[in-house]
Amino acid sequence: MVEIFQKYMGTGLMLIWFLLALVYLYLHEKRKSFRILLIYAPVILLLAFFNPIFYRLFEKLVGNEIYFRLVWLLPVTVVIGYAAVLACAALKGRAKGVFAIVAIAVLMISGKLVYTNPLFSRAENPYHVPQTVVDICDAIEVEGREVMAAFPQEFLLYVRQYSPLVCMPYGREVFNYHDELYGVIMSDEPDVEKLAALAKQDLCHYVILEAGKVSQAEMEQYSYELFDVIGGYDIYKDNTMYFGL
Amino acid sequence: MLAVQILLIGIIMFIVPVMAGGFFYKVEKSFGNILFMWISGQIMLWAGFQCICVPVILRWGSFGDVKKLFLGFTAVLAVGGAIICALRSLKGRKAYKLVGCNKHYINRQYIVLWGIFAVLLLTQLILTGVMAYEEGDDAFYVAISTITIDAETMYSKLPYTGGTTGMDARHGLAPFPVWISVLASLSGLPATTVAHIVVPIVLIIMAYAIFYLVGCHLLEKHRAYLPYFMLLVEVMVLFGGYSLYSAENFLLVRTSQGKAVLANLVIPFLFLLFILLMEKIQKKEWTADIWILLTSTMITACLCSTLGALLACMLLGIVGLCIMVCYRKWNVLIGMAFSCAVPVCVAALYFVLG
Repeated sequence: MVEIFQKYMGTGLMLIWFLLALVYLYLHEKRKSFRILLIYAPVILLLAFFNPIFYRLFEKLVGNEIYFRLVWLLPVTVVIGYAAVLACAALKGRAKGVFAIVAIAVLMISGKLVYTNPLFSRAENPYHVPQTVVDICDAIEVEGREVMAAFPQEFLLYVRQYSPLVCMPYGREVFNYHDELYGVIMSDEPDVEKLAALAKQDLCHYVILEAGKVSQAEMEQYSYELFDVIGGYDIYKDNTMYFGL
Repeated sequence: MLAVQILLIGIIMFIVPVMAGGFFYKVEKSFGNILFMWISGQIMLWAGFQCICVPVILRWGSFGDVKKLFLGFTAVLAVGGAIICALRSLKGRKAYKLVGCNKHYINRQYIVLWGIFAVLLLTQLILTGVMAYEEGDDAFYVAISTITIDAETMYSKLPYTGGTTGMDARHGLAPFPVWISVLASLSGLPATTVAHIVVPIVLIIMAYAIFYLVGCHLLEKHRAYLPYFMLLVEVMVLFGGYSLYSAENFLLVRTSQGKAVLANLVIPFLFLLFILLMEKIQKKEWTADIWILLTSTMITACLCSTLGALLACMLLGIVGLCIMVCYRKWNVLIGMAFSCAVPVCVAALYFVLG
């Protein structure tokens, strides 16, 4: 549980400010209601969090992967913010302004701007899914029925968010087990015979591959025609599959 | 068409909850009660949605049934709340009060700080619209919202692949994505857009509104510092990227997921209700309205996440016991038992069905 707490608190600076704020409020907050909410309850929660018996019980009931969510019960933001305001209000003259600016700067240095996360990117459309996914799904959808399509890794998170009509033989959980078709699609030089056999076995109407990754002529030997090329991806359609309603 | 859809979603997410919150116009008398009505109305709607949706899911009912029942519930709540406010207005009393400000402490500094806060908030809202985040769990939750509208079934299709499955009870007990489906279905906007843009924008505003109300009570004697408090909170949210698991990070990154709502709306709102409860206990006032709201918030915690039932009960248990001991109010136990009833049932169902 110490590891989980450390993981939650990152550099630990926020934790230091939180504990200092708790002590400050313990000394300066006189109202009973706020002492209960901002001092007693967080301390009891911390004691529960670090209690090995409680941890084992929690682990047994719901697993330990989400144990960190208990920390959400600590009013970290409110406690630090309120303590900083009280400390600021206690100062006079120029010191007050200096403290106010320093407190903000310290909080900025102690944390990390959420938007610097490399997983953020400029949205390409109002769906917040890559435009290539939108274009491919729009191209392969058949109104009134579902179609099965095998996609490469980069699209797995998005296809089903955008289109309920496009099904996939494997989804995001493929990262946790071995799927033969996915393995072939993601290999540097896919074995076309194996690819076609596995795709047919999974009843795929379409196979989406990086453009030029396999030879079109070879795919045609196994009844896959090049249906379209969108955003640098070849869409192969299985001509032997039924596309009607 | 788009303008109509935006107007509809605006009505559903702002006007309807304020109307529904009319039942609680008396609870928050001191500060910005229109904000309180908005949030408490939304909490009531969420709690009602949970009570309607889970039984329908467990009985393999259709999404259409949930939508009809929820619309009926919403209409009753909104019309009832609006009538209560209208009656109050007829008596010559103001039912809606905007942000409570006192001219004493409004100076240049105060206005500048609110201005900085507003600019930063606007920036967050704009970034929510124009920046996409590669969030793995969206492949599950947003896909559920999308499938639900199309397939008319709930939690009986595999969101990752589209295959059919047995009842997914673990997730079906916390059907927050189905609520997103209802919003999408009523407004006509795509569920993906509602989940990635509309809901985050509204919920970020709501999260700050809760911090504002908490701040109003905390800084009762230092009201001039309220914008500074809000700015500190905003900085902590913006710089909450120190950990992938922090509540602040969840607010800006995974806003439309139930767990983010639990961490940033439900839990802070529980804190606000505890403040109000203790104020009423001190003044020896009637607390039934607070307990109704507390119960609704506890049910909302279950809607957000199955773990929400446990977290909310744990928080209520700890704070409730502290209140009991510090105020020597043993009847708090009755309220606690009443508020925990639904979460306990949901937790029991989780273990029975899971």
